[in-house]
Amino acid sequence: MHEQSLFASVPVHQHHELLQQLAGLTAMQPRHCLERRLIFKAYRKPGLAGRVGATQDLQQADLQRLNKMLNGNMYYTQVVGPVSERDFGSTAPVDRDIQMAGVDDSKPSGTSSPSYDYERQQWKLEFRDIPEAGTRSAVTSRLMSSATLPRGDVVQAMNAWGYHFTTEYLVEGDMFVLNDIAIFLHRVLHYPGGDELNTPRRQLPALKDMVLFEKSGSYVLQAFIIVQDGSNQETMKTASQHLFGLREQLKSAVLLEQADRLSLDTRAK
Amino acid sequence: MADSFTLPLRPIHEKRERPDTLPVEIAQINNQWGSFREVNEDVLRNKIAEEEEKDGMDEVDESGQDATDLDSTERLEQLYKRRAEITQFAMQAHMETMFALDFVSLLLSKQSPRQAETSMSAFLKQVAPLGSLNAEVVNPPPKPESTTKDIAAVSRGWRIQNFNAAANKLLQAASRLETEVASETRYWNEVLAVKNKGWKISRLPREKQALGVQYGFLEATPVFRDRGLASLRRAEDGALLLDEGLIPSKARYVRVRVIQDGRLTGSSKPTRSSLDGDRTIEDRILQARDTVYEEELFHELVREARAIASLGVTTRQNLIQIPASDDLEVLLDLVDTDENTLQPEHDITQQGTSLAEGLAHTIRILLAYAHRQNLRRRTLLPPPLTPKTRSIPEQQLIRPALAYIKHMSHVRWLQSLLKDLFGVLQSADLELPAYTTRVFSTVRQRQTSPDPKVETLVGQFLTPLLSTFNGKILTPRGSFSIAIHTNLSSPPFGTTFDVSFNMPKYSDLQSPGKISHRDDVEAAITHLLLLDVVFTISSKSSPRSDRDQVKRTWEAIYPQHGELLLSPSKSEKRKKMKIALSRHELSLEIYTVRCIDGTGRGKCEHPSYHSVPHTWKPSIAGSPNQPSLMDFVSKV
Repeated sequence: MHEQSLFASVPVHQHHELLQQLAGLTAMQPRHCLERRLIFKAYRKPGLAGRVGATQDLQQADLQRLNKMLNGNMYYTQVVGPVSERDFGSTAPVDRDIQMAGVDDSKPSGTSSPSYDYERQQWKLEFRDIPEAGTRSAVTSRLMSSATLPRGDVVQAMNAWGYHFTTEYLVEGDMFVLNDIAIFLHRVLHYPGGDELNTPRRQLPALKDMVLFEKSGSYVLQAFIIVQDGSNQETMKTASQHLFGLREQLKSAVLLEQADRLSLDTRAK
Repeated sequence: MADSFTLPLRPIHEKRERPDTLPVEIAQINNQWGSFREVNEDVLRNKIAEEEEKDGMDEVDESGQDATDLDSTERLEQLYKRRAEITQFAMQAHMETMFALDFVSLLLSKQSPRQAETSMSAFLKQVAPLGSLNAEVVNPPPKPESTTKDIAAVSRGWRIQNFNAAANKLLQAASRLETEVASETRYWNEVLAVKNKGWKISRLPREKQALGVQYGFLEATPVFRDRGLASLRRAEDGALLLDEGLIPSKARYVRVRVIQDGRLTGSSKPTRSSLDGDRTIEDRILQARDTVYEEELFHELVREARAIASLGVTTRQNLIQIPASDDLEVLLDLVDTDENTLQPEHDITQQGTSLAEGLAHTIRILLAYAHRQNLRRRTLLPPPLTPKTRSIPEQQLIRPALAYIKHMSHVRWLQSLLKDLFGVLQSADLELPAYTTRVFSTVRQRQTSPDPKVETLVGQFLTPLLSTFNGKILTPRGSFSIAIHTNLSSPPFGTTFDVSFNMPKYSDLQSPGKISHRDDVEAAITHLLLLDVVFTISSKSSPRSDRDQVKRTWEAIYPQHGELLLSPSKSEKRKKMKIALSRHELSLEIYTVRCIDGTGRGKCEHPSYHSVPHTWKPSIAGSPNQPSLMDFVSKV
């Protein structure tokens, strides 16, 4: 799948007004999103990287492909988990053993007191390639893919796939949908107290204690379309046409433009 | 409005309407034709005759000339001649202009030689040096006193006249502006009143200067969504006009008619009666909104009706026919609201009317629900873009209502069947325990969903319908349960009866499972109850057994045929009982059999000497001389 997107920077004083404008444009109420994002870095497992000895037989095609994959670029990947405002600054559920046993599965967690259960956190793996270079079109286009992960602790599973946990942050924002275009107005929050942990947090601090990544509190407006088949020129063109249409519509409010390609580089050096 | 707008201060050029034109004309006529005194009828007649003659001559002349001179070469020659003439005139004009230009240029060359030089002809430059001609202002000779007086008087009058005209124009403009302001005020007040009522007022996307009111539904099908916007125009007097474009101004609605046994028994009324004459702008907006909703409703109904043609639904140009159940038929059509005053029907019943009204409300509620679902779908994260366009699925409007009607019909049928069968058994003094009915026992959704309550409520109506019947039978620990599923939204379509029973006596008996036909269900239940009766008889020992010191019991040999055999005893022949159960009666017959094992059939069976087939019917259940089944059996 391919993702085509346009970006704009929104200063904090314009945020409220832009929310109103977008709500009017898309004829929907903003959907507030809070997402935990864990960053994983791929590493090369020892012993798999090279092929030693026995070079007399011809390399089979699939083996070649595997080698190419293993020796190719390494990427950072994100694991995204939606959370809600209730989950912040809460304690772990006391009756977790009961819930784990599946006796009272249907009972929504946190009806009595707000609690955040890391073991039941949903996760989605999101991969983004570095944006394509030398495209003639004025949108940022890159290869992307996403997959749903099992609930709970993902670090183990990710380790098994050759990724280790690097850091995590939080994204706060509002989502709008205009036909095929998703419009995400968001900003990045950091956890208080730095990145000394090397595992994802099992507890979330209070939301008001979160530290703004961009000190001025400004937001990023990302408008994106996901295209199923990136090799189909026609759909790619349609998608960028739609984005340009949106850019025209929003021209008086914000200026949507292509992002710097290297600033969206996801390759692990 | 724009064409009547005249700027009051523009230059005046209305010289022809000066009042002194008539005397001038009279003087002209006097000069040309002589005094008016000499005009009389004869002179005028002569004149007219003369003129006619002249005209006629001219025509004749022309026609004659045309006929004779229509020679192409001559015409061509004439044409050339004329053209040469025109050219000559043009040349002459050009020459004279050039002379004038030269003259002026020479005159100006005294003042600004450089500029004047550019417009001078070469010949003039050669002949005359620059600045050789000068002009000076000379005082005109003094005019006589009377002339200056005249001029002063004329210019004064002229000025007064112009002032008057200007004043008139200004006054006209003022009054025009006044009315304009009044009508604008009225227009904007009305627009504001509409806005205060909560309608959405916006600029029209195509026509930036005009205002529009949005009354349609944002989540409707695009065609109808776009029609939900009408412009608010201003009439001459400032009144608000709703310009609905192509929409017919007539109010229409989807009429539901119910036909029972081929007769019209009910018809739904329009939701809003059409008001004619003085209607406020809001009434008109409301009517436009209703009409657009009704038309969308009908559009969706037709779309859905085509999709469910397999259920026997037929569509015509403006009519949907739905065979609902047994002898009930529903007709849907889009009609004008004032068309409803049909000839009074005699067959209209309360039940039919309420069914029609209920159906009419149901489809409208379901469309509103579909709109909400559209909003939900629209605001979800869009799926990846693919080259093929996604088709819009048909809304569920008819299917849930139809499923409800069909389901209720099946439930009622089953209830009446059970009532009949239980009545038959009761008439034979076999008291069955009452069964329990749970109509619409669809599993309740958990209330944890974040949807509003009303959506959950309607959502339940769209799920497959389920009703269950549970009860006990005569056999101890035996029970039966029948579940009726009706599902028209997803395959498998239609209604199935899930019949299952638990009979400890016949543990190897399989439950019939899912049955979709009523006759099969009736057969299955009747069979079950027959087995139950047979088992009950066989489990009770005959009271006469104490005389023979032998325990005599009826033994069920062919329970599935309802046949029992009396255990052998020394004194009597073997007897065989045959029980038949149907919806209407329970019959019992006793045979004497000669065969030893009692299993033989055919010629060795004879009806028992004292037994005629005995029947129990619910209608004669109350008669006192009717023995109960058990008494009858024990007497045998």
